Amino acid sequence: MMVGVHNRPASRAISLAVGVFAVVWILPVLWVLILSFKPNEVLMLSGDPVWVPPFTFKNYINIMETSSVFRWLLNSAIVSVSATVGVLFVSSLAGYGFARLNFPFRRTLFVIVLIGLAIPEQAVIIARHQLFTDWNLHNTYTGLVLPHLSLPFGVFLMTQFFRGIPREQDEAAILDNASRFKVFWSVLLPQSMPVQATLGIFTFLLVWNDYFWPLISATRPEMYTLTVGIASVQGNFAQSEGLGYLMAQAVFAGLPALIVYLIFQKQIIGAAAGTAGR
Amino acid sequence: MKHLRYTLITSVAACAFAAPALAEKTEISVSRFFGSCEADYGDVTEAAKGNGECGIITTLINEFNNTSDSYQIKEEVVEWPGYDQLTARLRNGEPPTISVMHQSILSNYASRDLLMPLGDKLTEAGVDLGDMTDAARAGVTKAGDVYAMPFDTLGWLWHTNMNLMEEAGMVNGDGTPVTPSSADDFITQARQFKEATGKPYLCEASVGNAQVYARTLFTLLYQQDHNFFADPTMIDLNSDATRNYVDLFKTLYSEGLSTTDYDYSAATAAFPQGECGVYIMGTWLIDTYQQESLKDESALAGGYFVQPFPQLFAQDGIWSDGHAWVIPKQDLNAEEEAAAIAFLKFLWDNNLHWARTGHLPVRSSIIESEEFKSLPARDRLERVALHATPFPPEVKRQFTVTDYVGEEMQAAVNGQKTVDEAIAAAEKRVNDMLARAN
Repeated sequence: MMVGVHNRPASRAISLAVGVFAVVWILPVLWVLILSFKPNEVLMLSGDPVWVPPFTFKNYINIMETSSVFRWLLNSAIVSVSATVGVLFVSSLAGYGFARLNFPFRRTLFVIVLIGLAIPEQAVIIARHQLFTDWNLHNTYTGLVLPHLSLPFGVFLMTQFFRGIPREQDEAAILDNASRFKVFWSVLLPQSMPVQATLGIFTFLLVWNDYFWPLISATRPEMYTLTVGIASVQGNFAQSEGLGYLMAQAVFAGLPALIVYLIFQKQIIGAAAGTAGR
Repeated sequence: MKHLRYTLITSVAACAFAAPALAEKTEISVSRFFGSCEADYGDVTEAAKGNGECGIITTLINEFNNTSDSYQIKEEVVEWPGYDQLTARLRNGEPPTISVMHQSILSNYASRDLLMPLGDKLTEAGVDLGDMTDAARAGVTKAGDVYAMPFDTLGWLWHTNMNLMEEAGMVNGDGTPVTPSSADDFITQARQFKEATGKPYLCEASVGNAQVYARTLFTLLYQQDHNFFADPTMIDLNSDATRNYVDLFKTLYSEGLSTTDYDYSAATAAFPQGECGVYIMGTWLIDTYQQESLKDESALAGGYFVQPFPQLFAQDGIWSDGHAWVIPKQDLNAEEEAAAIAFLKFLWDNNLHWARTGHLPVRSSIIESEEFKSLPARDRLERVALHATPFPPEVKRQFTVTDYVGEEMQAAVNGQKTVDEAIAAAEKRVNDMLARAN
């Protein structure tokens, strides 16, 4: 029996292709990083010598010396973490409900949730802004977190995951006198950790990088999120005269999200590889 | 006892003198773009020490805060152009006390009764409205009322690298660059430059920046005496004047006489790096390029020359816009309103400082002054002040008009549409939008 035979040339070709794509992907990111350490005045003279000195930390120092930058960082952290926890909570419960419970109009409601995937934010933003004005929620953390809790993708993901778990596990727990909530909490939820990690990372990045809603809802400078705050300090239309500073802003704004991804990458890869504890 | 009495009297007297200094200043908020430069100018309280848009506006506000006994500005920096935020704040009922605004946007807000008329208040505060340039007055006056304090006039310029022009043998005896005086001249000189230097004549910020196409088009329409907003509720681009513009720039692009793949950042950087002879862009870059020309290692070293966009046709005219300061309608008490007017008066008095950015002053007396003319290249820019032509004040949604027209002209210049298709599309998009807005 021919078991575990590896096609070495094909395997090497795939590895090579993946390596090439990785390099192609990472080069612009490296470019941004290196430019962020170049003095603005040197970049105005020529865009060529980015790989050679001089380098400087001045661009990052200038960001740190913007008095509100740490406040903006805190705002983004509060909003992103709160929204992530909220989405995981709501999506898990909703997903369990759609996957396991029978209630009136279940299918109709699920279709309505799926329709939400097709509706762009821009289509509802005016109505949402009006609603939040009436509720006095602008310039509050609640106003920044609430719109993200209704994440159709999260509900869909958790629903599909819970549907994939054999019902026999529920039935076995029910036979042991477990309540519906206990079945959810003790039997199904622990198995969903990799998917939760994926959804958590996805939500965190989505909220962290959100720009337009914070732009028009958190309009007081002390309530800016990092994306809005960093954009506000740009010197002029398109920030053409401080390219190093612009790149440093990009790195600074993206770093927390990258750190979170690196911490949870195992769970994400586990979920993607389908090793979700089944 | 005598000692105690003396101490008490002295203390009370000291408190009496100190009271005005301890009294709270009336604080108002000023929302502005132009960036944040706290690291360089956060502690600088003299406007004369500021450089660039960010530096000068920061030091102006610092100086006002430092010299005013009664008023304090709380600065709120927004990303350019900031109108999404301003509109949202107006809707929330929390507008800033004062906001910067492009004059081309003013009609959007004034027509909706969202701005405080300022004419009488500015006059009472000592602002001589008669000293405003025609362009500035036209930019802030809507339906006969002054709705903003003008801050500058900005216009379309011809930034030139004299080092490359010299290499191309295109320098006049008086040291000025050879400049086209007709569309044919433009092509001929562009070809000559490219043949001599191997570089494109023009740097164009042509990618992702439709407004560039529109601003050059509008300039050439003014110069060909085509009034495209004879009716402020409808645009009329169907003219040989538009076709002349498209033909000119199609030729420039197709013969490699202009860059075609630069966005704004790339083109703005390419010019001082010596990649082209001429950069068609606005007044806001004068100070930047002036500073670059002072660096020995720069390709622009000692060779920066700026002038208004040349007159290529029978009439003279230059696209222009301007910045201004508005007070959104809101409940302000008497002290807050007084603070706002005092700050606007301060900006009026210090308009020369702002003119160091490259933007043109809004006061005729400053334009005619020796101090202004002694600034680098400013003696050549009087033509902009005289012939700067904004849209008619009744035209609404001017930013959007410029975007739509620019996108269609971009398609025509790049060959994606015929000029007639582009004209028809531009007119339809603009006129449909204006019909909804009016």
